[in-house]
Amino acid sequence: MNRRRNQLSLAIVAFLLGALVIIQLRSQAAGNGLDTLTTTELTVLVGNLNTRNDQLRAEVATTQAELAALQASDARGETSIGQLQVDLARVRAWTGLDPVIGPGVRITVTGGLHAGSVRDLVNELRNAGAEAIAVDDVRVEPNSIVDGPVGGLLIESTHLGDPFEVSAIGNPNSLTGSLTRAGGIIAQLAATDPTAQLIVTPVDILRLPATIQNLVPAHGKPRL
Amino acid sequence: MTARPSPTGGSRLRRIPSWQVTLGLALLVFGFLIAAQLQSNGPRAQYASNERGPLVETAIGLQTQQDALKAQILDLRAQITNLETKGQGSAAAATDLGLRLQDARLAAGLIALQGPGLVLQLRDSGQTVLPGDNPNDYLISAGDVRTVVENLWLAGAEGVAVNGERITTGTAILDIGGTVLVNSAYLAPPYQVAAIGPPDLFDRLSAAVGFRDFVRTRAQAFGIQIDFAEPGDVDLPAYAGAITLRYAQPDPSVSPATVRAPSSSAQP
Repeated sequence: MNRRRNQLSLAIVAFLLGALVIIQLRSQAAGNGLDTLTTTELTVLVGNLNTRNDQLRAEVATTQAELAALQASDARGETSIGQLQVDLARVRAWTGLDPVIGPGVRITVTGGLHAGSVRDLVNELRNAGAEAIAVDDVRVEPNSIVDGPVGGLLIESTHLGDPFEVSAIGNPNSLTGSLTRAGGIIAQLAATDPTAQLIVTPVDILRLPATIQNLVPAHGKPRL
Repeated sequence: MTARPSPTGGSRLRRIPSWQVTLGLALLVFGFLIAAQLQSNGPRAQYASNERGPLVETAIGLQTQQDALKAQILDLRAQITNLETKGQGSAAAATDLGLRLQDARLAAGLIALQGPGLVLQLRDSGQTVLPGDNPNDYLISAGDVRTVVENLWLAGAEGVAVNGERITTGTAILDIGGTVLVNSAYLAPPYQVAAIGPPDLFDRLSAAVGFRDFVRTRAQAFGIQIDFAEPGDVDLPAYAGAITLRYAQPDPSVSPATVRAPSSSAQP
């Protein structure tokens, strides 16, 4: 009788142990973090993923057309100089190696703004779909980080005066709406940097300079 | 001569039945697993509702589609590069264009890189949230990831990726709830920030005031976990997103001759 009770105790503990192991493994396997999001956040995420996937599909179509043109040239035994030039112009413009022109917004900043706030603003412009950004006459690259104290901001060793401008090429309506919406970045900066004033102006034609940086890696090598 | 049973531990252990030892060990493992389960839940709240199931499935499906589209883009770009390389031998002009295109793609982050550097791993705090504290302060946010990325650039990094998403000129790093989107790809913690740069990148980063402030205000104050590794080679993937411009076009009023010449070194 006593022996049977012992066996029963062991069986119960073994069962609980097994159940816990399974729960632990499942929680690790399903560690996509989505279970930490609210319904509203999941809806925003789904919208974001949809937009991104649409952009990627458009990129697939463009790249397929480019490949088809190259294959046709190759089949005819021709060099593809024209296609190379088109591709080069596209990549250089996107990267910031060439000056670009287009519609967008200009944000005039007066008063003191923290370096981190300017970085937040640039991040928000990228999120809103800006295709090219400049701070005063400096084309913004991934490594163009605004730094320094309020009133002494620097970007790529260039001092930012008061006022200074942040310009972004993209859909003027989308950019303006995204920046100035209730609870958007302009509203947030009004709270964190109360002495600063930011004026957003849609512009029909903006001209942004090329970067002066050599962005080709010196330490990293292509991994083909 | 016969030994007498000792009144202390040794003989008592011999008297414990084996099932009790087994049960004791099982309970020990049981306790350990409960602790591990509680620890893995961490400070992140988890939600459950009827509407969430389809939304989670949709998000996972869209992320899977995104991964497939990115793989397709990388494959197409590789085919294009092969064809361009093949055609280069036929004309000096094509060779020159091909080399310039390769440099532009390297500068843009469209080519995978390998080189010296470091990898930082950011993990949520394991500490108990103190009364009055905001639980979100104990989680890695987009702001934390951005701060690390920015400080790596300032320290001289020439390429950075977060959980396999290459940082480019168009990359935004955003919060959705307590988690992070990079290049609109949903990334789950822990976050691994990989960077290629000069051999002393770690020293430069460690000495940077901005990074030291980050460690002080996030790791020391809230227990955010920051781990470093300096593998022999760091691999950065190519950016697999869209590079098509709809609004920005090359400025026709600026001839290549009037474009400012590139400087010899990147910031800083």
